Amino acid sequence: MNDATVQAAHLSKSFGAKRVLDDLTFAVAPGDVIGVLGKNGAGKTTLLELMLGFTPPSAGDIRVFGHSSERLPGDAKSRVGFVPQQDELIDQLTVADQLRLIASFYPHWDAELIDRLCTEWGVNPKARVKSMSVGERQKLSILLAFGHRPDLLVLDEPVASLDPMARRQFLEQLVEASADGRRTVIFSSHIVSDIERLANRIWILKDGRLDWQGDLDSLKESIVRLHLRAADGVLANLEVPGALSVRRDGSFTTAVVRDWTPGSLESLTAGRAIDVQVESLALEEIFLELHR
Amino acid sequence: MRAVARLVFLYFAGTAMTRALTICGLLSCLISLYVVTYLPQSQHMLAFAQVGQLLFFLGSALMPVMVGRLAQGHASGLLPYGRWKLLLSMLLTVFLVALPTGILTPFAFVAGMSEPAAALVAHPGLLEFSITRAWIIYTSCVIIAGWLYLVMWFLSERNRAGFAKGMLVIVIMMFLPAREIQELSATTRWNLEQLAVAWTVFGALFLAWPRLKNVRATLRRATAGSRGGFSRDTSGREVDLILGTGNPWLFIAAQLIPIAVASRVGIDLPSVWLYFLTIFSTVNGAIAGQAAERSRALWLRSGWSRSGLFAAVEKSFLRHNVVVLVLLLLIMGLIGARAGFTRALMAMGLPLVVLGTLASTYLGLSLTRGLRWFEASLGVTLMLTLMAVSQMLGAQPAPLSVVIVIEILLAFSALALRILARRRWATIDWTQCRPTRALSLRGA
Repeated sequence: MNDATVQAAHLSKSFGAKRVLDDLTFAVAPGDVIGVLGKNGAGKTTLLELMLGFTPPSAGDIRVFGHSSERLPGDAKSRVGFVPQQDELIDQLTVADQLRLIASFYPHWDAELIDRLCTEWGVNPKARVKSMSVGERQKLSILLAFGHRPDLLVLDEPVASLDPMARRQFLEQLVEASADGRRTVIFSSHIVSDIERLANRIWILKDGRLDWQGDLDSLKESIVRLHLRAADGVLANLEVPGALSVRRDGSFTTAVVRDWTPGSLESLTAGRAIDVQVESLALEEIFLELHR
Repeated sequence: MRAVARLVFLYFAGTAMTRALTICGLLSCLISLYVVTYLPQSQHMLAFAQVGQLLFFLGSALMPVMVGRLAQGHASGLLPYGRWKLLLSMLLTVFLVALPTGILTPFAFVAGMSEPAAALVAHPGLLEFSITRAWIIYTSCVIIAGWLYLVMWFLSERNRAGFAKGMLVIVIMMFLPAREIQELSATTRWNLEQLAVAWTVFGALFLAWPRLKNVRATLRRATAGSRGGFSRDTSGREVDLILGTGNPWLFIAAQLIPIAVASRVGIDLPSVWLYFLTIFSTVNGAIAGQAAERSRALWLRSGWSRSGLFAAVEKSFLRHNVVVLVLLLLIMGLIGARAGFTRALMAMGLPLVVLGTLASTYLGLSLTRGLRWFEASLGVTLMLTLMAVSQMLGAQPAPLSVVIVIEILLAFSALALRILARRRWATIDWTQCRPTRALSLRGA
């Protein structure tokens, strides 16, 4: 995929003896909205930082807009927006000064959009950054990343400090930003419902590897819960292929399986009289099952 | 260039305080320009220029803070040409800050003349000489301003290594540009060469720093791995451990390095040595400025009341600072014997070092709401007073009665600061003294 916004091949990152990311290969197309899921320490932040060239890979290659992320030229950087996990605002300045400062680095800054968002999100331009709450600072960080209408927006747990109202406003803005199908959004979050609502592709990081990458629908079709009941009442010896978890209760068995396809049903029952019900799972349940 | 201009503007006018300082500094310089141009001259008429220059420099105090903040985070890596623009803005600021001195210097050369400086045009030879000197002074001031920002940068690390590096730079400043100005031995060419080398090295390090940082981090992890993990000494009293006063020897080592360098580079003026040592004494005390923010952990872990907490914190810092102070006094004795300090200088200088430590310790302890106008002014006043007394003691003959009065006033000030600190700790509010990441430029 030559026109990929981000492309990585066999990407690994180690800190000393600890391997944080191991042999990741992926491509991100324009218009993708990718939600990155993973437990604490799974390597989400490291992956996003590798993407933006903040840290070099230990092995492999990662390219953004066709450039090695380690050597992103200025015009490529002007197409990237980033919201870090911890804000990097200058306490001494006012919101307006902070916005003007960052705006001055970009040739195309959408002041109108930022003014509108300031009003909608209740960010007072005259407020001093030092006097703002954690949530307000987070809103300002997001505004700073939105202002130049980047083609690639990378957000590292952007909603962690936002109240439900602000979170909703932020997500609406993100939907609006990605609506033209040209802008790529990659964001990590622990709030799985947000990812489920917004992302069209999901990355699940586990033990430094991409345990799943694909669109949300495929993920939901691939990992399902099966409710099995044997007509003869005996299911004790039933092997469930690809089972992530199995719970047996007499003649009932409940199993969560991965790599499920409609054809799997046949091989599971293998001519036995088993009543099978397939239940779709919410993303949060899938995430929990994958991390059992 | 828009970003560079915006950065420079914010360095000088980013807050109400820096705006006020910058405007007052520029006004003072303009008044000085009028005074020296159109009024008969005297030495005192340059006071406007000196105050103006100082205020203008202080007006740009946001520069190291903002650069540090932007450079240490992700911003400089992601903003288009971010580090280049930051570097340019620093360079421009340094050249701007030195400008008033450069402009006013030709007039300073006729400060002793009884006619207005405008009369310079009637003496082409003198005019040419003045302009040559102005270039030399201007370029020297650019060098000094650069070093001063570096000192601010290091001191903002707020740890022993930062203090040691800051002191080391002060030594270099004393040895190179300041001495050359005093002895009129600098030339424009030599200054420009120094500037070119210093800024090329600094610029290269600044631009390459993100990569160097990664290399350093990898090496550190590798070394930590081979050592078998974390091996920092964590013994001692809990209160000292939390306040960072557990090991005065580290601080002593950090002070000995610049003192050793200073003695090697040939500082021989007693007044300069005295000022150098009194600065050390204030730095020694100034680490108490972190007491309030660190004491929150103590509040949670102990059964002390706020007043009891102050007593424990005061005791801990005094215990730490006394050890360092004793060493400073010993060093002063040794240097005094070697550099031929007069008895008067020793008799008045030793108490000055003690008073510097005490006053700065209690000033540091009184910072329960962060560093504000009032405390910053007190700090600057204290430094200027110590500098003035050092100069007085170096003069022949030294005005001893004035020095004694000032030292008595300093002793009372230390007492007053203690009372202020104790009162503030009685109602300390830890939400007002959270550690601020903006102040730390480490890793920039």
